[in-house]
Amino acid sequence: AALTTSDSGHCTAEEAFASEDASEESSLLSSEEEDSENGGDIREELTKPLQVSSGQKLKSENLIDETSDIEDLLKEEDDYKEENNYSIETSGALKWKEDLSRKAAEAFLRQQQATPNLRKLIYGAVTQDNE
Amino acid sequence: MATQAHSLSYAGCNFLRQRLVLSTLSGRPVKIRKIRARDDNPGLRDFEASFIRLLDKITNGSRIEINQTGTTLYYQPGLLYGGSLEHDCSVLRGIGYYLEGLLCLAPFMKHPLKIVLRGVTNDQVDPSVDVLKATALPLLKQFGIDGESFELKILRRGMPPGGGGEVIFSCPVKKALKPIQLTDPGKIKRIRGMAYSVRVSPQMANRIVDSARGVLNKFIPDIYIYTDHMKGISSGKSPGFGLSLVAETTNGTFLSAELASNPQGQGAAVLPEDLGRNCARLLLEEIYRGGCVDSTNQSLALLLMTLGQQDVSKVLLGPLSPYTIEFLRHLKSFFQIMFKIETKSCGEELKGGDKVLMTCVGIGFSNLSKTLK
Repeated sequence: AALTTSDSGHCTAEEAFASEDASEESSLLSSEEEDSENGGDIREELTKPLQVSSGQKLKSENLIDETSDIEDLLKEEDDYKEENNYSIETSGALKWKEDLSRKAAEAFLRQQQATPNLRKLIYGAVTQDNE
Repeated sequence: MATQAHSLSYAGCNFLRQRLVLSTLSGRPVKIRKIRARDDNPGLRDFEASFIRLLDKITNGSRIEINQTGTTLYYQPGLLYGGSLEHDCSVLRGIGYYLEGLLCLAPFMKHPLKIVLRGVTNDQVDPSVDVLKATALPLLKQFGIDGESFELKILRRGMPPGGGGEVIFSCPVKKALKPIQLTDPGKIKRIRGMAYSVRVSPQMANRIVDSARGVLNKFIPDIYIYTDHMKGISSGKSPGFGLSLVAETTNGTFLSAELASNPQGQGAAVLPEDLGRNCARLLLEEIYRGGCVDSTNQSLALLLMTLGQQDVSKVLLGPLSPYTIEFLRHLKSFFQIMFKIETKSCGEELKGGDKVLMTCVGIGFSNLSKTLK
């Protein structure tokens, strides 16, 4: 099984063989499924390094490059997004600390306008000048 | 008091009583023009003329000038003299109208005032004598006006339109008033009332008591409503009935409400049950407004604070009545006193409506008329 796989490098044949082997083994060993599965796994493990040889390697490298590029892009995007999120979060977390004095002044004025100035209502605008 | 200050000038018939009382206390002459000048029946009304006559009786050396139509009044106050007096009040207004003025002036007389007032003791417009007795007298006591002779007594009850009531009011004189610090009204401790009936079935008063208790019993157990049925000459000239309720707090604040039946021949007949129930609800409304002084006596408290020693006085009031607001303006023009007014919202504590904390420094008014012994 190991020899056949080295020749082709194509996944289909290997898979066919593997499936055949599996069927053979399963028929031979009959009962225990666990053993057969384990054997299959071992074979696959053996074949994999051989697969990654000639043309496939280039392809895979290309793929890897592409994927890495995408990953980089994604990463950049992710980073970008994360940075954005980070900035938003931090600004949100610390927003209440910004312009505290101005906010206090606004709150004071709001309070002043909300509560009627009885003194002014009773005595008129003259009191404002006096004050 | 006798010093000649420049006179103040006003137009219109509103707040005539306030202006005359403050003029008397400050010694500043006052000129009031255009009193109902455009009315079909121009000039001063009978009850206002009667009030001016009363002022003339209790003072010495007042100069009062009224023009022919009664639309212009010039009043130059004299010294507050006091003594034993009698006065027939106009039946158009209650005795409360005159008594409110006297309560402001009586502590500053030369001689202690002892006056018999005749007229309408209970009507639908003015605070009744019962309410003033239950709320204004304890308030004056807070300012240090007290003594054996300090009393207000109903000798006869008179209802409009006929009148025929009689009360006796006597008040000691004080050289100076104590400053007050009333900022916590406390909680309602008991409710007292007076259900009166004159020239109608005595059962009316009992029916009023039953319906009023029906409302109030849910809130407090300590309720007692007296029934007062006067007969014969003590019952005045007109039939009627009514109820006055007073709630006392743990800190000695008195809050009042009252209702009276429609005068004979005016308006629909009032059921005593409805009157009792509505009066009890009015008392609940007054308790909701709260404060350390009843809304009918707000202006009296503010006046006595103004006239107090040169010390800080504080009082927590419920929402200011329009009468009190105008009174504050008059206090400013006659005594140059402006109050510090702070709103106190009682939203969290669930103690009723918003309150107003009034603070002022007294002008250090001392009773110059009083003879030193």
